[in-house]
Amino acid sequence: MTLLLGAWTIGLILSLLALGVFISFRVFHFPDITADGSITLGAATAAVLIAGGVPPLLATLAGFLAGLVAGALTGVLHTKFGINGLLAGILVMTALYSVNLRIMGRSNLPLVGADTLMAEAENLGARALGGAASFHLGSWEIYGRDLFALLLTFLLVAVVGAGLYAFLRTNLGTAMRATGDNDQMIRALGVNVGNMIILGLAISNGLIAMAGALLAQYQGFADVQMGIGMVVWGLASVIIGEALVGSTQLGLVIAGAAMGSVLFRLLVAIALRAGLNPNDLKLITAVFVFAALVLPALLARLSRAEVRDA
Amino acid sequence: MLDLDGVSKTFNPQTANEVRALQNVHLGIDDGSFVVVIGTNGSGKSTLLNAVAGTFFVDRGAIRIAGRDVTRWPEHRRAALIGRVFQNPFSGTAPQMTIAENLALATRRGLARGLGWALAPSFRTEMRERVRRLGMGLEERLDNVIGSLSGGQRQALTLLMATWRRPELLLLDEHTAALDPKSAEQVVRLSEEAIARDRLTTLMVTHSMHQATALGDRLVMMHRGRVLHDLHGAEKQRLRPADLLARFEEVRRAEQLDESAAAMLERQYV
Repeated sequence: MTLLLGAWTIGLILSLLALGVFISFRVFHFPDITADGSITLGAATAAVLIAGGVPPLLATLAGFLAGLVAGALTGVLHTKFGINGLLAGILVMTALYSVNLRIMGRSNLPLVGADTLMAEAENLGARALGGAASFHLGSWEIYGRDLFALLLTFLLVAVVGAGLYAFLRTNLGTAMRATGDNDQMIRALGVNVGNMIILGLAISNGLIAMAGALLAQYQGFADVQMGIGMVVWGLASVIIGEALVGSTQLGLVIAGAAMGSVLFRLLVAIALRAGLNPNDLKLITAVFVFAALVLPALLARLSRAEVRDA
Repeated sequence: MLDLDGVSKTFNPQTANEVRALQNVHLGIDDGSFVVVIGTNGSGKSTLLNAVAGTFFVDRGAIRIAGRDVTRWPEHRRAALIGRVFQNPFSGTAPQMTIAENLALATRRGLARGLGWALAPSFRTEMRERVRRLGMGLEERLDNVIGSLSGGQRQALTLLMATWRRPELLLLDEHTAALDPKSAEQVVRLSEEAIARDRLTTLMVTHSMHQATALGDRLVMMHRGRVLHDLHGAEKQRLRPADLLARFEEVRRAEQLDESAAAMLERQYV
């Protein structure tokens, strides 16, 4: 049960990553690789602040802000200096590696015993269960720590998801979606497309860094390597989410990205338990995204061929 | 209203592909005037429209709209003064967004976009009313995505969006060229209605001789980046497609003469 609740919690945390990737890849059609660096940036920023005694919620918010800056930087490199979007992301991601090391002062920063959001969830759990560490639900033993970590994460993600949904329906957010959909049109309606991309990438990387901040608190450390392959992970979640909800309606798409992230994490947890070598995980994730990108077109071609042959 | 003062634009300067798209164009358009621009392929008529819209900056000359010098204004800033309908029906609307969302975007053309709701409930009534006037039954489909509509429907909506807030200047860039005849006729009628209702200053580029003679109160014929003819008033009203064809024929002959002269010179001297 601990494994299941843990997978859910991590899935929910990473759904913020999925929402960030949704903004860059789906709203703007912008292949933003900054994410690999900004998720670590969020983790590093929050971890250092928490280790220094800053309240964990504030530290998480600081992680969000740090991601905001990183994303805006990629946007500026792309729109103001005319650097190819993919390269702009790579530049910032590469630079962030050093920045993250500078922030942490070393490559791994443990948070054992520190006052993290998850430690607070644990306290809450202990209080709610009247001091007991666990309780039984049927034949399952459920630890208060796991349950409350999950509830707290769910609450946070729900608030952020609802906030994003609301934002994308404001005048500004609607213009942002239109920028990704048809930039010629939105320019003709008086919107500065470059500024819109900068703002969008800032929000995207802010969310991703927030996922990093929460992840560091959940797993109890920040590591300079933790961002590797995270873009692909987020993209896989978004693709699964789209398949789950099968709709382009904004609210459903956002909920779908979160659900996709949780489902993907659960699948991975099951596969690992079944004996999958953790070292192969990135390869499998990449192959999965490849298949998800290629299969729809391939299936369409096959069905067309069938129609022709019939 | 609109003043082009010695405007020139050369694409790919000093290369083999150099194109002098606009050469010292002077054009003044009065408030409320409806000007039709016609010309052969490559005559610079679409370039003229894009120069006004700010798709690129001109090399020389000045552009003024409603008394403001917009020569160095970027496209999105000029959009506060200009409503635009493109040739491609896909260009003027956001296909993955709903009709209502597209219209909501148009209501804030040139205004700051903040954190107010894009689709306020009170706004729906007005939206419904104005979409109904298009006579396409789209008022019942406000929450459908634009991508599900036909080219004619999209173009009618783009026109509505371009004129939702009264623009100082309306630019129509061969906006019916990609439509089937029936839709084209419908969009032309809607354009005329909008222009007459709000007394819009309009610059319309067209390929159609019929539209060029039937619409507008002034006709500008362009050739090789210059204004060749500029017909006003009674002269414009009397103009028939046949007269226009004759003028094109004249251009063609002159061109041929030029070419044969060039060929002769080449034989003699090269």
